Amino acid sequence: MLDITEILETNQMVMSENLDVRTITMGISLLDCMTPDLDQLCQNIYDKITTCAKDLVRVGDEIALEIGIPVINKRVSVTPIAIIGSSACKTSADFVKIAETLEKASQKIGVNFLGGYSALVQKGMSKADRLLIESIPEALSKTEHICSSISLGSTKTGIDMDAVKLMGEIVVETAKATADRDSIGCAKLVVFCNPTDDNPFMAGAFHGVTEGDTVINVGVSGPGVVRHALSKIHGENFEVLCETIKKTAFKITRVGQLVAKEASKRLNVPFGIVDLSLAPTPAVGDSIADIIQEMGMEYCGAPGTTAALAILNDQVKKGGIMASSYVGGLSGAFIPVTEDSSMAKAADIGALTLEKLEAMTCVCSVGLDMIAIPGDTSASTISGIIADEMAIGMINQKTTAVRVIPVIGKKAGDEIELGGLLGNSKIMPVNPYGCADFINRGGRIPAPVHSFKN
Amino acid sequence: MTANINTKIVVTLVGKDHAGIIAAVCSYFAENDINILDLSMTTVDEFINMMMIVDVAKYKKTFPGLVNDLDAVGERVGCKVTAQKAEIFDMMHRI
Repeated sequence: MLDITEILETNQMVMSENLDVRTITMGISLLDCMTPDLDQLCQNIYDKITTCAKDLVRVGDEIALEIGIPVINKRVSVTPIAIIGSSACKTSADFVKIAETLEKASQKIGVNFLGGYSALVQKGMSKADRLLIESIPEALSKTEHICSSISLGSTKTGIDMDAVKLMGEIVVETAKATADRDSIGCAKLVVFCNPTDDNPFMAGAFHGVTEGDTVINVGVSGPGVVRHALSKIHGENFEVLCETIKKTAFKITRVGQLVAKEASKRLNVPFGIVDLSLAPTPAVGDSIADIIQEMGMEYCGAPGTTAALAILNDQVKKGGIMASSYVGGLSGAFIPVTEDSSMAKAADIGALTLEKLEAMTCVCSVGLDMIAIPGDTSASTISGIIADEMAIGMINQKTTAVRVIPVIGKKAGDEIELGGLLGNSKIMPVNPYGCADFINRGGRIPAPVHSFKN
Repeated sequence: MTANINTKIVVTLVGKDHAGIIAAVCSYFAENDINILDLSMTTVDEFINMMMIVDVAKYKKTFPGLVNDLDAVGERVGCKVTAQKAEIFDMMHRI
């Protein structure tokens, strides 16, 4: 029989510690939509998405009502569009037409975001890949719910530096195209090294070509729950600290597992994975930085922060893996600056710098995430930031990413407000010294050796 | 007989205590063939905190129907009444 204290504990997690399921993401393969006729392709894509995901939002809401735990987002990820449009699209404008079709489909089914306006170019760009990348600024300025991700490198292939250079320019162009809205387009654009095919989180979700026709992936949340659990063991040693995180992660992930299984059953779509990532929101108390600070840091970013984050990330995995039958996606801890109010505050007072964030990305998922930088940051400097992060991922065999927002017309210290889950922060300063000669070399960085690990 | 986990619902109630609160909730359960399996109640500083585990195997309406009805009962007695499937607590607290 259930214990009353267990019921109280769960309900307190929901009511005062922001426990929720962050997203149910339905992955949909669009491979069977491919045709050389653009209008027909758009129709096929619209029909497939609106058929497969027609009940997604309703089922998500039903499950949330029955278990009494909010399911915040219902989302869709699709096969990378550079592949789907490779035959039909002759110009960048053709790809924008697909983006508009995806927007129409996402509005019809009522999802929060649709990811997969993507290209995988870690070893080189095809003509279609380049056209899609060049279409991103227009596609993201003309749509509201579409997210774009580009894979620029991997441990097995090295890094495509031509694409890194191009993406620095595209990030700036996207910022300019949405300059009237604090350059929000860049919040929906992320570049990856070693991306995963089953990531349910935006902006990086896409449905990999090795996946089945449709799949249900679930992302959990719960930084507030972990912080609350840690607040009860103040001053205890690392063994107690680690055990507490592990046990809490187990409980959080079990919620995700139940929601994933239930959604899979009701939608008659196979269950893919649960992503263990602790995802913060701008809500007070729903913060990764708060956990780091609860562990003993005066502010997130102080010396010791990387070690604390490494502990958090590893213990979340250890607890979460036991709780779910299939774990996948990014499964770590996210450290987005604008989406985490305490992270934004630490950056504001100077405790947390871009360089420290880069170090933190070595031990957690995913990367430099949701960082507002001055609008006059050059494309080559952004490419340099991207190259550094890709190198960390390539050498350390992990997923890394960059989602920076050069806010046009604003400088370091100015405020930006992106709204909703995207949050707000002050603009962080960027190292003023250039790297253009390095970025302009062109070509590829070769794949690293897989031995002699030091 | 043990109720199937899928038909077990956890009902929680919080509000200012006065006569007739449990009677109102239990009457609703009796009228709708909902069987109470476990019940626990405390009052702290004039506030009542009650938890019930009930079996809805013979209940005729849907889950959203139950939630709406309990909202109405709660409103009548000035309390907040919520219902959740027991499965979530089993998942979180049992291996």
